[in-house]
Amino acid sequence: MTRYVMVADLRRCIGCQTCTAACKQANSTPPGVQWRRVVDIEVGEFPNVKRVFLPTGCQHCANPPCEEVCPTKATFKKDDGTVQIDYDLCIGCAYCAVACPYDARFKVEKENFAYGDEPMPHEAQRLNKATIGVAQKCTFCNDVVEAGVASGHKAGEHPDASPACVNSCITGALTFGDKDDPESQVNKLLDQSEHFRMHEEIGTEPGFYYIWDKKNMGDLL
Amino acid sequence: MTETRYVPTYCYNCVAGPDPMKVRVDNGVACEVVPNFDMEEMHPGNGRVCVKALGLVQKTYNPYRITTPMKRTNPKKGRDQDPGFEPISWDEAFDVIAEKLEALRAKGLTDERGLPRLAATFGHGGTPSAYMGTLPAFLASWGPIDFSFGSGQGVKCVHSEHLYGEYWHRAFTVCSDTVNTRYIISFGFNPESSGGPSAARRHADARVRGAKRIQVEPHLSVTGGASAEWVPIKPKTDLAFMFALINVLLHQSPRESLDIPYLRDSTSSPYLVGPKGYYLRDPESGEPLVWDSEAGVAVPHNTPGVKPALEGCFTVAAAYELGPDKEKYPYENIDGNTAFTLMVQSMEAYTPEWAEQMCDVPAQTITRIAKEYLDNACVGETIEIEGETLPFRPVSVVLGKTVNNGWGAYHCVWARTVLATLVGALEVPGGTIGTTVRLNRPFGNRLASVQPGEDGFMVSAMNATDKENWESAPSGRNAHKALVPIVNSGAWSQALGPTQLAWMFLNDAPSDWMRSTFPDVWFLYRSNPAISFWDSKQMVSIMAKMPFIVAFAYTADESNHMADILLPDATDLESTQLIRAGGTKFVEQIWEHEGVILRQPAVDPQGETKDMTWIATQLAKRTGLLEKYYKALNRGAGGIPLKGEGFDYSLDPSVEHSVEEVWDAACKAATSDYSGGKEVKDLEWFKENGFYMVPYKRQDWYLYPTLKAKGLRFELPYQERLKRVGEELKRRLHEQGVHWWDEQLEEYEALPAWDDVQARYNKALEHMGGTEEQFPLWGVTTKSAQYSAGNNAGIQLMDDVANNVRGHGSVIINAQTAQKLGIGNGERVEVRSIIGFTRGRAELVQGIRPDTICIPGQFEYWKTPFAKDLDYPSLNTVIPMSLELTDSTGSGADLVRVSVHRLGGDS
Amino acid sequence: MTSAFKGKGALPRLQTSWDLRAACNFIGGGTGTGLLITTALLALFGYPYFGAIILGLACVGFGLFMVWLEIGRPWRSMNLFFHPETSWMTREGILAIPMFLLGALTIFYYPQSSVAAVIGIIAAGYLYCQARMLRGAKGIPSWAHPSLTPYILATGLTEGMGLAICFQALASEALLAVFAVLLILRLITWSRYSKGLQQSGAPQASCAAINNIRSLFLVGGHLLPIILLVIVTFASELRVVLVPAAGLLAAMAGWLSKAVIITRAAQTRGFAIPRTPIRGQGSANEASSQASKQGW
Repeated sequence: MTRYVMVADLRRCIGCQTCTAACKQANSTPPGVQWRRVVDIEVGEFPNVKRVFLPTGCQHCANPPCEEVCPTKATFKKDDGTVQIDYDLCIGCAYCAVACPYDARFKVEKENFAYGDEPMPHEAQRLNKATIGVAQKCTFCNDVVEAGVASGHKAGEHPDASPACVNSCITGALTFGDKDDPESQVNKLLDQSEHFRMHEEIGTEPGFYYIWDKKNMGDLL
Repeated sequence: MTETRYVPTYCYNCVAGPDPMKVRVDNGVACEVVPNFDMEEMHPGNGRVCVKALGLVQKTYNPYRITTPMKRTNPKKGRDQDPGFEPISWDEAFDVIAEKLEALRAKGLTDERGLPRLAATFGHGGTPSAYMGTLPAFLASWGPIDFSFGSGQGVKCVHSEHLYGEYWHRAFTVCSDTVNTRYIISFGFNPESSGGPSAARRHADARVRGAKRIQVEPHLSVTGGASAEWVPIKPKTDLAFMFALINVLLHQSPRESLDIPYLRDSTSSPYLVGPKGYYLRDPESGEPLVWDSEAGVAVPHNTPGVKPALEGCFTVAAAYELGPDKEKYPYENIDGNTAFTLMVQSMEAYTPEWAEQMCDVPAQTITRIAKEYLDNACVGETIEIEGETLPFRPVSVVLGKTVNNGWGAYHCVWARTVLATLVGALEVPGGTIGTTVRLNRPFGNRLASVQPGEDGFMVSAMNATDKENWESAPSGRNAHKALVPIVNSGAWSQALGPTQLAWMFLNDAPSDWMRSTFPDVWFLYRSNPAISFWDSKQMVSIMAKMPFIVAFAYTADESNHMADILLPDATDLESTQLIRAGGTKFVEQIWEHEGVILRQPAVDPQGETKDMTWIATQLAKRTGLLEKYYKALNRGAGGIPLKGEGFDYSLDPSVEHSVEEVWDAACKAATSDYSGGKEVKDLEWFKENGFYMVPYKRQDWYLYPTLKAKGLRFELPYQERLKRVGEELKRRLHEQGVHWWDEQLEEYEALPAWDDVQARYNKALEHMGGTEEQFPLWGVTTKSAQYSAGNNAGIQLMDDVANNVRGHGSVIINAQTAQKLGIGNGERVEVRSIIGFTRGRAELVQGIRPDTICIPGQFEYWKTPFAKDLDYPSLNTVIPMSLELTDSTGSGADLVRVSVHRLGGDS
Repeated sequence: MTSAFKGKGALPRLQTSWDLRAACNFIGGGTGTGLLITTALLALFGYPYFGAIILGLACVGFGLFMVWLEIGRPWRSMNLFFHPETSWMTREGILAIPMFLLGALTIFYYPQSSVAAVIGIIAAGYLYCQARMLRGAKGIPSWAHPSLTPYILATGLTEGMGLAICFQALASEALLAVFAVLLILRLITWSRYSKGLQQSGAPQASCAAINNIRSLFLVGGHLLPIILLVIVTFASELRVVLVPAAGLLAAMAGWLSKAVIITRAAQTRGFAIPRTPIRGQGSANEASSQASKQGW
């Protein structure tokens, strides 16, 4: 089986939003729509304050609440572990958006562009009218990854088989790959580190892991 | 069916570049900027570009672009005036400009005061030269040009580091040797926002490796946020912290824990200093004396085999001190302290307990950090690099912008560099290293700039301060040669002089200084000084008086609002240029390769926009300078000499050449040069491959081995030469009856003493008619990765993604302070200083001192499309340009006393 | 320019996917089904049901129409029937069909109280679907909270019965008594919901939004109707005015509460992390890793 997951190393991430912008370009999302973004969180009180830069987006849950509630089956789980949307089925009820615990879904009512109502040439070139009025979110760049894998690359370990955010990340904070492949880079990283998943208590089984420390050697002994 | 191709090119929007990238072009339309993975192994940022580069697609297709030349029809200039720009042809534009320039040449290149009639201002840190094609060759062919009208130079850069870093260790910019370091004390250094992919990646690797970074700054920046520890310090009191670190090292740690051999043999620490504060010199050779601890006698420092005493006071039989203006003070049986001993004495009072009073950081924190620094320094350890054994000192101290500008900055740079020398960590693996030179030649190789100078130090040319040669009548409007000896007089020097003086003196010069004049013609490229400097209102009013402005224009903006002619140049993804990459460059661009990288059109230029090389060629042609222009190009004015050892791709100066011909020659010349004649690659090859690189030795990241090989010492800790130069400068100015620079002259100290910078600001405020009670808070600013040096506030994508970043577009204020002031999160506030106000939304945070507010970036646009509708505040609007707050290098700090109050209105 | 921007930081934010139009579905659906259920019960006892069924279906229809206005692709709305396996929205949609068909049948062709009763049963199912729909919205803790389900059921019934007693023909003493009991029941479910949010977790802003309407809800929606009903027992001549007033007040309180729940007390989970990252080594540093769940 295949289970595509994302691993974000919080020690590395600096919240620069290069991934956010790369995702916006790769998927040609309209203003304000960010399938991938990095949340900038302050923790603590003055003077003991930290900032945590938390890459987020669709967590491609194993138990996706969005899929459960979707009345049309537009949202569905693929056998590669990702959660996808069939834009042609979706009625845009946004039930999935309120079901998502990760605030990862968007709906855009009408075409809009960076500088108003008229598209720039690249916006016109990439305009996908199917996304108007329906739910949209991170796909883990499924088309790219599938094509890359089909041409013989290992998912997440070659730029042609990796999501745009991973390719763009300047600190090496994002890693993508197959959790079911024991040899994958994501498994190696997770084996070496302490990590968590977000809102795990609600049973969504997200496919998005956050590394916060090296492996605690005490645990290994 | 979509036809897709990927075009290799580079981004050099900020000095942390160039970074390689590819442009994805679908059916002839540029759609995406993606990494260039062909350079993943070579580029320290792994072939990636930062978020700013991703804005270049929108930059290309921005509907607000100016795409034809324009001329002003309204002769009145000012913010409130509509320029009435009308489209004209390139021919007409060149006619108008050529007429102006020819008239100017006829009158003389300089005016009655000896000031150049032509002035030019370029944006951030030399980056425009990576986009301006062959314009430098036109400038070189012209003659004297005034580069002193700054657009942020000296106040937005790391100015004191530029000057003193280069002076002490050929370090125009300084960084930690991040790939090897274990411990970094960062005073406001913000590489996670402004260091590009190279710095970001290196620091991320270091964190994961376990390197610890302590971030000392009033506002918790992104870098602070990504550090192991944040130490909130009172603004501009970093010096107290640093002095206390030195105090702990010198007075609370065993002497042998320091790197004694390094201090003794590679610094001026053992030099003996006489009663007047100058070195005691050998009457025969004139060389500074050291105390030969084995022979028990004073000998010249360069005596072979000498093992000088590091510390102590010794009686010297015969010596003299060399004072200002070559005055000699001879002595017999005179006591001399070593420079090191004088430093130990001068630092004695600066205990952590004293520092706590000054900088509001607990003494025990300072002491702990000093001990951690010392513990991590690994004094005595070595590392093997490419077969060479080098010292390994994995500790570093780095400084941010506001620490590095204005009053106290000289002291801080000194303290930082001394902290490195005390543990032998200057210019060695793991330590504090420089990355590039700009005041010394050659720019491409700082090691090659190391030449023996006087007194056992590297040569460092300074502007003359002796009576015969001091430039009493300034040849530029900021008087950099007259006022700032250390800035020297190279290509970059003028722009590193006191650039705000150039602006201020157009309005109002001190009575004992000559009146300035407006240049007849002012060129403006990739720069928007109307918003990027201080006291924006005054700036705009001065700019409105400029008689004739030629602005290379992307969109309408606040500066070209005053222009007479707008020339739309082809931008980043539309034009051609070959630049150098690799080796060691600005910030943390430290490579194991060096070579050249091509920028090429991914798409055709929009509208009538033209490649800068074509524009420069036409300017040269129309002003009759074509031959000189090509000769300058052949010499290397375009960045690459076209003729060198074993190759000659010089262009025939008698005929006009196309853009392609020019860069084809540059491609061939560069590859011939880097390959030693083995390979010649033309422009077509570069268009396909993007770059040409050869290995660069890792050893060459460090200056220490070169210094050692040449038998030279770092000119630290004692600043005998600066003291002498300062004294001479004082004499020259006083001889002219000039006293308004007197306070600045006090900075020429041999051993810097505590400078209470906050007190200076309070005093200056009083002089401007305000009180501390009226303006109880400190206003600071911070850079953001999405905007730093990008001149990209008009790019929607940047705002889109920057909205995720804490504080973007806001007034960042401590939550408790805000509560006391009755300000809620998201409410509109007004930030007032003695010169005006700026308005924006408040963002309440914990990560800022209660006595400080922070306004990120530079906004408050009123003309730039899109940006003008953002309603974001800008600290630039409220910082005064003040002579009183200008230091001896001519720089000032991004700091101002402010008050904040709620305006009402929604969130 | 419309912006889908979701705001900064880790704090829960007010969802903007469902607005007042979606709230109207819960208002119309709750009130309508409540009325249909009440009518069904009364029909079995021989009360007239014709007008009440029309009104009940109209309420449900109004709710569906409003939500139809909200969905992004209204002309594809038939797709909503595709996922009965797990989607309570599909199930709601499916139940709407027989409910309206039977309604039409009752009104136009086959006016039988047994049919009205069947409508009531379907309406109960419909109301239950609505309650479960909110519970399935795991992104909005104040909706997903299990204690909201009984409240949605209770308020639907209360609102419906509130409308029912506006019909003089239906407003028997017995029904008024049941209504009074329902009011108290609703108050209990509300209070359990409100307390449940405070105790076991919803963002502060959601709790605050619920708290904001506490007095109005309590006094206007419960105390006042009960006082009116008490007055009626003493002054029966005022019955014709006060009973409908009491019913409407109770219904309006339910509408208000649902409008607030959907559009105000509707914060997302925000971004909680159990550990902050360790950047660089050192024991003090490692010990400093902490959890962060802001805005709760």
